[in-house]
Amino acid sequence: MLKFDDLTVKFAGLTAVSGLTLDIPEGRIYSIIGPNGAGKTTVFNCISRFYSPTSGTIEFEGRDLAQIKPHQVIGLGISRSFQNVELFSKMSVMDNLLTGLHSTLSHNIISISLKLPSIRKTEVEARKKANNILDMFGLTRFANEKVENLPYGYQKMVDIGRAIMVNPKLILLDEPVAGMNAAETDKLCGLILHLRNQMGITVLLIEHDMSLVMKVSDHITVMNFGEKIAEGTPAEVQQNSAVIEAYLGEVEVDAEA
Amino acid sequence: MEQIIVSGLIFGCVYGLAALGLVLIFRTTGLVNFAHGEMAMVTTFVAFTFLSYFQLSFFISFFLAIVFAALFGIAIYFLLIRRVGDASHLNQLVLTLGIFLAIHGIAGLIWGHTPASFPRALKGGPIQLGPIFISPNELFVLFVTFILASTLFVLFRFTRVGLAMRASSQDLTAARLMGINVNFVFMVTWASGSILGGIAGLLTAPFTFLGVSMMYDVLIMAFAAAVLAGFLSLPGAVFGGLIIGVFGNLVSYYWAPEMALVCTFVLIIVVLYIRPQGIFSAPEAIKKV
Amino acid sequence: MKGRIFNRRTAVVVFAIFLVAYPFLVGQSSYFMGLAAMTAIFAIAAMSLNLLTGYGGQISVGQGGFLMLGTYTVAVLSAKLDMPIWVTIPAAGMVASVVSLIVGLPAVRLKGHFLAVATLGFGLSIPEIALNWKSVTEGYSGLPMTRPDAVSSDLAFFYVILAVTMIVTWILLNISNSRLGRAFLAIRDSEIAAAATGINVAGYKTIMFMIAAFFTGIGGGLYAYWIEYVSPNDFTIMTSFFLLAMIVVGGLASIWGAIVGAILFTVIPHFADVYVGMTNLLIGVAVILIILFRPAGLISIGEIFRKNRKGQNTKAEPERFEQSSAKEVPDVKI
Repeated sequence: MLKFDDLTVKFAGLTAVSGLTLDIPEGRIYSIIGPNGAGKTTVFNCISRFYSPTSGTIEFEGRDLAQIKPHQVIGLGISRSFQNVELFSKMSVMDNLLTGLHSTLSHNIISISLKLPSIRKTEVEARKKANNILDMFGLTRFANEKVENLPYGYQKMVDIGRAIMVNPKLILLDEPVAGMNAAETDKLCGLILHLRNQMGITVLLIEHDMSLVMKVSDHITVMNFGEKIAEGTPAEVQQNSAVIEAYLGEVEVDAEA
Repeated sequence: MEQIIVSGLIFGCVYGLAALGLVLIFRTTGLVNFAHGEMAMVTTFVAFTFLSYFQLSFFISFFLAIVFAALFGIAIYFLLIRRVGDASHLNQLVLTLGIFLAIHGIAGLIWGHTPASFPRALKGGPIQLGPIFISPNELFVLFVTFILASTLFVLFRFTRVGLAMRASSQDLTAARLMGINVNFVFMVTWASGSILGGIAGLLTAPFTFLGVSMMYDVLIMAFAAAVLAGFLSLPGAVFGGLIIGVFGNLVSYYWAPEMALVCTFVLIIVVLYIRPQGIFSAPEAIKKV
Repeated sequence: MKGRIFNRRTAVVVFAIFLVAYPFLVGQSSYFMGLAAMTAIFAIAAMSLNLLTGYGGQISVGQGGFLMLGTYTVAVLSAKLDMPIWVTIPAAGMVASVVSLIVGLPAVRLKGHFLAVATLGFGLSIPEIALNWKSVTEGYSGLPMTRPDAVSSDLAFFYVILAVTMIVTWILLNISNSRLGRAFLAIRDSEIAAAATGINVAGYKTIMFMIAAFFTGIGGGLYAYWIEYVSPNDFTIMTSFFLLAMIVVGGLASIWGAIVGAILFTVIPHFADVYVGMTNLLIGVAVILIILFRPAGLISIGEIFRKNRKGQNTKAEPERFEQSSAKEVPDVKI
């Protein structure tokens, strides 16, 4: 579904991503892990078209992403959440979710100015959908609260909720459980599985929480210093010496327990 | 033609000094001071009061006015600017607009709205240097500008206070943690900015007039110069001022005085569109998401 | 909401009735009708600026320029080309809208202070062009205007202005509360998230300038017909500053805030203008006080009263959230 072919991204002398080749199959949960600075978020930002690769291509369902602009990405069926929770902080939770649906609504200025019935109808439907999502996350009572007043964990959920609003084909989750406690992480784990199992959404996940990654992933790629150093199933990756070295340093033969 | 360029350079010095104050304040405190011109206007009026009411000599009045400007800048920072450090860009900007209006209003109430003439620093008829005529007063402007600009540049680049200013502009929290008294640094910045603006006013008034609207044109030209400097480069502010001064004067002469401002505006738009960081600065680093 | 005698809808209706009855309440005095007419025109300009700056987050310090574009379009079309009012007023809006591209297109790349400087330049330039382009604008002499015969009396034209203002208010309310308004707010709060959500940030920035300019231009056109004379001194950079002051003091991202601001800052000058400079001082001080002590604007005072009556207090909410998240985790129903 999403193919990276020899993707390289350089910023004025710093190589963030180098020669990355990946093939992400449809309908699966695919994780990218690696130490900080490995280039993971840069990859996401290339998909979102905030950055342009120095060389190499990204293809989504056969289409070369290099041709499109950032605001057209969601139109292809790719939505995302952000590491630093890029929410519309002064808007309410409900408005944040409704904005998530922006790409699917038509924008005829005349109909809007005159508040024609067609506009009213689509607004009602959009609200219904938003309420479903709020229900799913258990955030219904915060619907009209300004997003910046919510605690961090809930904000992350709104961020993800907004990405789900459009029923994407592929969702990019950038460190979704960072800053959440164990109970919240558990719930989000269930949500990610729900996205794949019940909603048929392909999930591409960046995460540091290893237990979550190992629990939900069908497939994992490990990056370090911008390069892919390993890939495979969770079990395979856990055994891989290059991965262990990247995370923990060199393994000494006679290491003390 | 050379005469037009030379007199353009003289105006340019004034714009450059005012721009220098703007860029200094922006670079250190991150705020664009729309009230810059009005503060300068008040300083000029204060000088005039010393001159005409107290009958002091030009240079003593000049000096006292500069002292006033420093105190004025510190007061504005301390009472008002300091409180909106964390506010949005818009709020900070509107605050300076509010200060603009308030100062403009008070000045009108105190000094009235009839323009007056302001005496020159150096009297004397024009001297001929080659094809151009230049008056002693104009030479004074060039001299003051050169001294101030170089002094400021040296201070900013090579002293501890300057270093503190640069550190504060890059990262406020880190600067504080390093033991830099940010309040003190900002006070020095606002005092310096106010002094620069005030001197710009004092140098303008003899050529144009003394009145509550005297700094309007200077302000927009100073902004234009600051834009050319990307609001970052101090030498750029001065050179930008000179460029704008010459440019404006050429337009004024060959087209019409009113169009100098319009053309400057078009110039700003074009520069900002093609090279938002100004023509004297390096391209900005990429902001990571 | 039971037992509430005073709610927003009632207030609006009462206000509307007051406005319709206004001319008779002031004995059809030209002076007072003029005051209200000016307030209405500034309200249109303020609401438009609010859409651009309050909702969209684009700082514009030159909005007065669009008022002047409106006045001159109307004047040139009617005085020189004899066009009727139902052509000149929309034309005023369109001309302003097209000219807004001069700042709207660069605005795509400019943020915060830089945009402010660019729009400042624009706001200063328009009167200068009006002064200079003598062949079209007659420069300093200005252009005379006549109202259409059907509504030539002050009373009649007052109602024309009132009607147009109400229509414009309604349209701007609809835009603000729609997906377009949300898109503007999104751009204001996070351009990145906006783009990721499918909002064409560059396109919308341009559009918001055009919409704001359109209605402001119409306001300018109305002004020309009311005063029956157009000159380069009508709207200066001070007007642009006052407009910004109106929306900030009234309350950003609030149509009613813009209206409150417009009323305040049209009424004050009429009493303060006795002492020249007093107006500027009062407005400047008002702006300073609001920014320092109530940045959300005057309209937020009303919000506090409403929330308190409901038994809620916004400040306490976050603490309650913090506590609850520790104990009960939202039940993610799957």
